[in-house]
Amino acid sequence: MSDAAFDTDPVAIACRQRLLPGWAALSVLLGWALATGAAGHAQEPAAGLSARRAQAQDYFRKQVAPFIKSYCLECHQNRRPTEAGVNFSPALKDPGHAAFTELWKKAVARVAAHDMPPEDMEQPSEEQRDAFRQWLEHVKYLSPPDPGPFIIRRLTKREYGNTLRDLFGVPVAIAEDLPDEVSGEGYLNSVSPMQMEQFLEIANRVLDLVWPEQGAPPSEVQRRWLGDQPIAAIDSPEEVRAFAARAARQIYRRPASDDEIDVLMEVFALGKQNGLEDIAACRLMVKAMLVSPQFLFITPASVVASEQSVVPLDDYQLASRLSYFLWGTMPDDALMALADQGRLHEPATLAAQVTRMLQDPRRRAIFDGFGAQWLGVTDLPQRTFDAEQFPQMTAELRQSMYDEIRLVFDTVVGENRSLVELIDGDFTFLNADLAGIYGWEELAAGAQWQRVRVPDPNRGGVLGMPGVLAATSFPTRTSPVKRGVWVLERLLGEVVPSPPPDVPALENQDAQAVAHLTLRERTELHRTNPVCANCHRMLDPIGFGLENFDAIGRWRDADANGQPIDAAGELPDGTRFSGPRELKAAIASRREAFVRNFVRRLLAYALCRRLEGYDEVVVDDMMQEIAEDDYRMQTVIRAVVTSYPFTHRRIEEER
Amino acid sequence: MINHTRIDRRTCLQGVGAALALPLLDAMGWEDTTDSQPPIRLGFMYMPHGVIMDQFWPADAESFLSSPPPALESLRPVLDQCLMVKGVSGVPIAPFNGAPHALELSTWLTATLPNPARRDQIDIAISADQIAANYIGAFTPLPSLELATMPQDWKENQEGLNEAYYSYCSFRSPTQPVPAETNPRNVLNRLFHTQKGAVRGSGPTKINTLDRSMLDVVLGGARDLRRKLPAADQRKLDEYLDSVRAVERRIAAIERRQQEAALEKAGVRTRHRRGTDTPPIEVKIPEGDKRSEYMQVMCDLIVLAFQTDSTRVCTYIGSRPNGASYPELGFSDQHHSVTHHNNEAEKVRKVAAITAFNIEQFAYMVNKMHQLPEGPGTLLDNCLLMWGSGLEDGNKHTRENLPFILAGRAGGRLRTGRYLPDVRANQGDLLTTLLTCAGIPVDRPVGIATKQITELLPEGSA
Repeated sequence: MSDAAFDTDPVAIACRQRLLPGWAALSVLLGWALATGAAGHAQEPAAGLSARRAQAQDYFRKQVAPFIKSYCLECHQNRRPTEAGVNFSPALKDPGHAAFTELWKKAVARVAAHDMPPEDMEQPSEEQRDAFRQWLEHVKYLSPPDPGPFIIRRLTKREYGNTLRDLFGVPVAIAEDLPDEVSGEGYLNSVSPMQMEQFLEIANRVLDLVWPEQGAPPSEVQRRWLGDQPIAAIDSPEEVRAFAARAARQIYRRPASDDEIDVLMEVFALGKQNGLEDIAACRLMVKAMLVSPQFLFITPASVVASEQSVVPLDDYQLASRLSYFLWGTMPDDALMALADQGRLHEPATLAAQVTRMLQDPRRRAIFDGFGAQWLGVTDLPQRTFDAEQFPQMTAELRQSMYDEIRLVFDTVVGENRSLVELIDGDFTFLNADLAGIYGWEELAAGAQWQRVRVPDPNRGGVLGMPGVLAATSFPTRTSPVKRGVWVLERLLGEVVPSPPPDVPALENQDAQAVAHLTLRERTELHRTNPVCANCHRMLDPIGFGLENFDAIGRWRDADANGQPIDAAGELPDGTRFSGPRELKAAIASRREAFVRNFVRRLLAYALCRRLEGYDEVVVDDMMQEIAEDDYRMQTVIRAVVTSYPFTHRRIEEER
Repeated sequence: MINHTRIDRRTCLQGVGAALALPLLDAMGWEDTTDSQPPIRLGFMYMPHGVIMDQFWPADAESFLSSPPPALESLRPVLDQCLMVKGVSGVPIAPFNGAPHALELSTWLTATLPNPARRDQIDIAISADQIAANYIGAFTPLPSLELATMPQDWKENQEGLNEAYYSYCSFRSPTQPVPAETNPRNVLNRLFHTQKGAVRGSGPTKINTLDRSMLDVVLGGARDLRRKLPAADQRKLDEYLDSVRAVERRIAAIERRQQEAALEKAGVRTRHRRGTDTPPIEVKIPEGDKRSEYMQVMCDLIVLAFQTDSTRVCTYIGSRPNGASYPELGFSDQHHSVTHHNNEAEKVRKVAAITAFNIEQFAYMVNKMHQLPEGPGTLLDNCLLMWGSGLEDGNKHTRENLPFILAGRAGGRLRTGRYLPDVRANQGDLLTTLLTCAGIPVDRPVGIATKQITELLPEGSA
């Protein structure tokens, strides 16, 4: 830690000293400490930000630009062909531009892993490498405050189904034919002709279910929007307008403008011209609403002045954003009432609503939409495992594994526990099938879920859960490499450099000699090759530490060939561990990095975009608040919801 | 690894069996062609992760027809209808070197790299199939049909690229990927507009007409909304408007077909078609979860779509990068992990088996089209099908000689029954050439293309 500017920050130093004994050496290799040390900046006033900015500019001039020019630019500059397509010329001109966030991260990871500069080129000193690594602590201050765009967003398949359920009482499965999609960060905000056709068809099917014809007893939906009278002709255009306004307010999740009501009246008139009875013409109006952008997208309720570049979300837009984030469905009456009063955006109100919403079972949307994706278990229920080796791995068991993780996650949310309990918690949920995998048959019987205290310190927390252990395995065996990458990326938020483009194959290995090695010994061959070694030194030991768990998460003392499991290891910094329990403790002690990674991912999910530039400063602020409340889950979620980028949007043209 | 979710969905398909009522089939044929020359249809079918090269590439041009390579065994009966080209290189993927699989599919029909400055969003290029759909799609109820075996929801971030680059190969515009349909029953519904759960006797024609007018009003309202939104929102709304207009056009096309059907019944011929053309094939939706049956029904649907001129452009993602395994072949390994075989015999065998399996499904489709008389020849004669992969060698992620098999003569514009061992061209050149063969006026090259591959064409036509 040679950077003087950085080390003058007493909180950062204290933070590293307290949390990271012995991890410094490792951090040199992988940029391990990148995510840490920043907590001290959080509650600085805006004036502090400009000082930081000046400091960052200075740092760039003195440390970064010379480094790039000496060690990188010869190959990676503005000329064709650019080596590996990496070009630092534009980034040197405007280092704080959000478009270069990714470039800096990758560059630092490669340099830190001694992957770059290439071996045959002049090498920087360790101090220079370290100083370059620290750049990520500074570059964020060069970005101007920016909440990012919140372009009108289409409801996801899941959100769309939930919303139809809440509006009409139809089963969510009515949307099952829509294409499956990724939610949150990486979400594809587009609508194709096929989807549009499906929206129209689904609207027809919904209305077939909930919209009786004229003269029939009214349905609940009809009573809600047309009154309790038996459905008959409608007397006046005013009544039709009032119906349209009531229905649109719910379907559009905001009051409809006069223009919007006019459009719906046009649909009514169209129905009448085609000989429909009043109630059938009303049905056509509802159908029109269900294929309108105001329903399919989260749209603003008010027009924004075009000269502004950043605006707060209006209360209705905020209500929708919040409700789809926490519940995966439309806002309820309470949120709509607060939006009507224009109070929802008040920080105290917003925070109180988060607390209320997290008491509601609909909060499981956070796991199904975000948690499962974060932990990489979304598709676990559909995965194939080798039927001969693992005959017990039925669809039901895979679902139970998923549900265990969901229940623990949901409990941490609902009981407002510390996030760190996701790593070292001492409780879990079991049914008989899952208890069999754990070898704890006496703890649970039948299909009923039971909350239990974990009797084995090797278990408890996601690292010891069969669902996670299975999801990070191959169908036939464990994968220490996959598990290592999983821990580094998903839990600690490290950037693991991708393998070099031309992975040198282990072709020359003597196949017969290899056949007698254990998986561990074979995997360790990675590390005899210098190109692989830098990274695999980091990844593999973590995975080996979990080798006592087989490919479906059962405890084992010997591998499939009867060889004893060697789960001991030594991290590059010298920290030794003897198995899952100690490895888990080592990860849990990195709670600052773990929580920060969680916060970044949750914020990206909530915003439906990748974080960049100024977002890192926002995360610093949030971390301060979160650390002060012992990393409790509800505090994390409240911090996301009340953050600047969640409550604002940039409306000017994209940069 | 995904044993696909459709197994659950399949249960709702049970009992569908054969003999689906196809309401529009009275009016079959082609309306835009002046003589009775059938139109050219374009099909693309994909398999990820490359091939075992020495089992895929023919030994030499001379022995191609007499002793084809092992991977092509299933194509033996129709080999004279096929054309193989070696020497077509893929798009170099730098600066996305860490994303070999994320870009396999999305570069396949675009021959273009994502915009690196906006890599977390979709910003690539219109794909070759959609270029075709823009042109020849106007003549059919569906401009194009996109199918996939597995859902397009793979969540893996490589090089900061948007996840959709992993799963999509068709792009309507640089920013609009086209999702694929994975449920055969839905495809049938789309092709023949039989609505799921539609109330009997409610007169679909009437509803459609009214829906079309209703959509028109909705479009007007959406344009009002558009005016009030900032520019970035407007662009998003434009995609919506475009999709609604596409649905309107589709309803109009269906209405037109229904009118024609009525005329045909009254003895008025509206389309060019011969009495000798075969009736539409029968499509059976399988009840089990065998991958081969599932892929074959998708292939049948493509045949049916072409045969009935419901569309002239189909793209089928037969398998997606990562996540797929093939229990039907007797092993549970993931396709991706065995492709990193390091020349281990067992893994090589598995990759070869997976490749042969995928080509078998393609061969099933080619064979079927070859059996169906159409115009002066067969349906296959009027098709141009491309099977291929986004990598050459999955073990090393190479893309120097992408594996392609072309089938069908494109109405005589493609000279088949040959193996061209050294064409020295790129993926964009190939796509540009294929579009030209299909009669699509290409106003600019596809992706990295710099030329047409004239060797593909009949002698004297270059």
